[in-house]
Amino acid sequence: MELELKQLRDRCIADLNDVNELKILDNVRIKYLGKKGELTIALKGMGKLSKEERPIIGKLANEVREEIEKALSHQKQVLEKKEIDARIKEEVIDVSLPGKKHLAGRLHPLTTTINELKEIFLGMGFSIAEGPEIEWAKYNFDFLNVPLDHSARDFQDTFYYEDDIVLRTQTSPVQVRVMENQKPPLRIISPGRVYRSDAIDATHSPVFHQMEGLVIDKGITMSDLKGTMDMFAKKLFGEQTKTKFRPHQFYFTEPSAEMDVTCFKCGGVGCKVCSNTGWIEILGCGMVHPNVLKICGIDPDVYSGFAFGMGLDRITMIKYGINDLRLLFENDLRFLSQFK
Amino acid sequence: MLVSLNWLKEYVNIKQSPYDFGECLTMSGTKVETLTIVSDVISDIYTGKIIKIDRHPNADKLVVCTVDLGTDKRIIVTAAKNIYEGAIVPVAVDGAVIANGTKLGVSDFRGIESFGMFCSIEELGMNTDLFSKEIMEGIYLLPEGTPIGMDIKELLWLDDVIIDVELTANRADCQSIIGIARESAATLNLPMEGFKTYSKVETNNEIVQYLNVTAESDLCERYIAKMLEVKKIEASPLWIQVKLLNSGVRPINNIVDVTNYVMLELGQPLHAFDYESLHSDRIVIKTTNDKEMVTLDAKERVLDSSMLMITNGITPVAIAGIMGGENSEITEATQQIILESACFNKSSVRLTAKKLGLRTEASARFEKGVDPELAMVAAMRATWLLEEIGACEVIEGLIDVYHHPVVSKKISLDVAWVNGFIGINLSESEMAALLRRLFFKVSSENSGILEIEVPSFRQDIEAREDLAEEVARIFGYDNIPSTIMGGTTMIGGKTAVQKYEDDLKSLLVGQGYFETLTTSFTSEKRLLGLNSPMPLDLVPLINPLGEENSIMRPSLVGHQLEVISLNYARKNPFGRFFEFSNTYRKNEAKDSLPYEEKKLVLSTYGNEDYFELKGMVELLCAHTGIKNPSFIAGGSEFLHPGRRALIYANDVVLGEIGEIHPLVVKNYELPKRTYVCEISFTALYESGTMEEKFVELPKFPGSNRDLAIQLKETIPAALVNDIIRKNGGNILESIELFDVYTGEQIPEGYKSLAYALNFRHQERTLNDDDINPVVEHILAELKSLLNAQLRE
Repeated sequence: MELELKQLRDRCIADLNDVNELKILDNVRIKYLGKKGELTIALKGMGKLSKEERPIIGKLANEVREEIEKALSHQKQVLEKKEIDARIKEEVIDVSLPGKKHLAGRLHPLTTTINELKEIFLGMGFSIAEGPEIEWAKYNFDFLNVPLDHSARDFQDTFYYEDDIVLRTQTSPVQVRVMENQKPPLRIISPGRVYRSDAIDATHSPVFHQMEGLVIDKGITMSDLKGTMDMFAKKLFGEQTKTKFRPHQFYFTEPSAEMDVTCFKCGGVGCKVCSNTGWIEILGCGMVHPNVLKICGIDPDVYSGFAFGMGLDRITMIKYGINDLRLLFENDLRFLSQFK
Repeated sequence: MLVSLNWLKEYVNIKQSPYDFGECLTMSGTKVETLTIVSDVISDIYTGKIIKIDRHPNADKLVVCTVDLGTDKRIIVTAAKNIYEGAIVPVAVDGAVIANGTKLGVSDFRGIESFGMFCSIEELGMNTDLFSKEIMEGIYLLPEGTPIGMDIKELLWLDDVIIDVELTANRADCQSIIGIARESAATLNLPMEGFKTYSKVETNNEIVQYLNVTAESDLCERYIAKMLEVKKIEASPLWIQVKLLNSGVRPINNIVDVTNYVMLELGQPLHAFDYESLHSDRIVIKTTNDKEMVTLDAKERVLDSSMLMITNGITPVAIAGIMGGENSEITEATQQIILESACFNKSSVRLTAKKLGLRTEASARFEKGVDPELAMVAAMRATWLLEEIGACEVIEGLIDVYHHPVVSKKISLDVAWVNGFIGINLSESEMAALLRRLFFKVSSENSGILEIEVPSFRQDIEAREDLAEEVARIFGYDNIPSTIMGGTTMIGGKTAVQKYEDDLKSLLVGQGYFETLTTSFTSEKRLLGLNSPMPLDLVPLINPLGEENSIMRPSLVGHQLEVISLNYARKNPFGRFFEFSNTYRKNEAKDSLPYEEKKLVLSTYGNEDYFELKGMVELLCAHTGIKNPSFIAGGSEFLHPGRRALIYANDVVLGEIGEIHPLVVKNYELPKRTYVCEISFTALYESGTMEEKFVELPKFPGSNRDLAIQLKETIPAALVNDIIRKNGGNILESIELFDVYTGEQIPEGYKSLAYALNFRHQERTLNDDDINPVVEHILAELKSLLNAQLRE
């Protein structure tokens, strides 16, 4: 019996070693260990053994089973590896071939600029206000302190729908609407589309975009305006940016200023972008005119505030070095796909 | 405005370099655009007197001149024709450089050496536009008495720096040398020189024998007339001409030049009439019914009754504040002149100039507003100049029609308020000093309140805020500290709908769509290309920029087609586009603005089809929380009648989608297959739910059934889908159409739709007994409603 078991084991191991495909490995298992397998049958003969022999043979039988199982598992691993190796060899690809095209679209560069500006001001506690593009003349001019006979109201400068309805020439009417309808404190920005009767060329378009901002609260000072605009410029153009405030005139504000920033391209040394001045004019701003506050029902003795406005198309052009405004409105894919 | 730095220096002792001075002016509010040297190339050109002119022995067209340069006499050979013995001319000596950069040497002219050349204005680098053709073409002849041997740059101010300043609309007072000088003095904290005026104490009111003046219209705010006897009409002295030239004004004759000189210097437009050709002893300022007149520039102007005219009582002799009439022009024969120094209503001048299409140096100044007080100073300055240069003798007396003299404004200024408003900390005396630099009369008694009297030329100063700006700009905007806003803390942020729009944009970009930016204008012609009936509620503009921009667009589709057309023409092979923008419709309600509706438009071409675009719309709907939007055949006429659909969320129309109609394809020169979808942004947003709630994952397995259903080709799949859903009970989890087939094995006019149905119960595993009856019910309904068969 003992011999029989040992022979069985040797046969089985020899069989296993002969197997070279994973598929038929299981056949060997069944042949020896299966319900009708050789070992199973051999063990059934155990009953015929004497009392003394039984434990010895039983132990041997278990050892043989374990050895077979071990060999089986080993051979399985060997074969699996062999199979994987073969597959890997077969599946080699040229990793340098081009990838499959995934086409992402792009936001228009103007939108990207607007988003960037919005983020800066949202972070300072501003909200975004919107208003109609076709607007009452009184909101676009009168309430903004623009003199009745000012040439900005002329047909040459402003598009009219009716005598008292214009295409807004600035987003300031939004500020008026906010001041009329909300109580201070206010912090809003109003990006949007505006219109002026300018023929299209490399730097002009009858349709363009502005973003204006408004802050009204108790104790707002001109130095707050400077601080806020300076912070904005640093966030938009980088920490190293310097700002310069020049006195200017707007009907909506008094005192008024224009803000220049050091040229982000040359850092202020002078280059083509800044026409060798080292500075780029970026926005107009000032303290909200008391007449405007009064018209909107805000007491200038209690509240003060500042406002600012900038041309978004211009900032987009400066930011990306775009040399012709018309490109923004043309929508050639070769243009649109250049921006992230 | 062009400002001569040399002229400015006659009033203020400016010591900075022109560049530094320009920076100072800019930072105090007078923006310097450019600094230009009149003629910076030339050198070694001097004044010389031609003593003798001899014929050239070897050339008929040349002459040999002996020229006295003061330090030496030299021979110069020339072909110039306008020279004469005794003439004083600019002489470029050998070694000199003329305006075009040529360096001169000694040249041999047919055997005679020439040691220099005479110069024309062009060779001197002067602005040729400011001279008559006659002067321009010859050698520039200098007036008798011009010193000999003088550097021409110095004599003609060719080394002067011309400052081009941009003036703001409110600073009418800066439209003059004196105005810029005041700003310079204030900015640099320097004193300012005065100027001479006619100040003779007159005893005879002689003028009344010649003239009386009536202002019949309030549009004439002041009218001063001074009369002078002409001694000689000739060219002005060089010092006057040079200042005019460096201000961009053409010298004409001594009288006209003086009126221009004073306008440039003081900002007061003046006009001189020939008294004789007035044919009257009256000047009446009024609006008239005259239809036309010929102005000084020999052009006929069409008048109307809104225009203020200077008349002789009957006939207009000048358009007030704009230009004189040819009928009263100063000529060689003029014996007496009327010098007009007046102030006209700025709106009236602006409107008249606009109607006439005639803007002059005078009208530009009146439009901004001239100080009525200035008229007298200017009249006296011009009188003094005319007498000084020997052009005229003064006729005694003066007429001044001035019904409502300006009253000087007085404002109390709270020092603490200014400091608080600007964010600075000046003492009362410091603030008073800053304002005094700007010629405000300030009384300060250490009470914390400054009493200010505004000079009449500062018409722009009205309120304390205006004075705060004056303090701030002279103090220096750069010296104001930068602070962080105090006050209430504000949260800010985007609204839900603003965030939603950003979300949709990200989604579209992620799916390969490019955002476009198109203008808001369209026109009937452009809309006609869409082959659709013209909308009745268009929003046309009264004053558009051309027909093609005459209407506010009612839809975004046309512009998308233009975008695709452009890209297709430029050989970009495919494209996906989107835009969020407003569309505009008329509002019939009274006192209302037109409707503005934000829409989302999508468009595609090249390797695209209807279902790609529809898939995008479905994704947008899913993202918005709109379940099962329906696409029902139909839509606008610019779409292919067999390939268009209206998009519904429940009962709300969101928009439409489809392939562009072949005729419209032709109109717009589009690729054959172009797809477009326009959706109302508001309707889309309002139809969705932004609520996001977690739903427990299923615990029990689902079970699939595939059904291939054969039915008539014309029956929309959506109908089948609806019937399946309606009859699927609550165990039908999802339906997916995975194949549409026509062809072999399917009868003509029929199609096969293959659906994968997924069934699932939340609380147990489903078995055939649960599912089979449902499937049979569905099939029965499909058969009875659509006569659809199950394909085995």
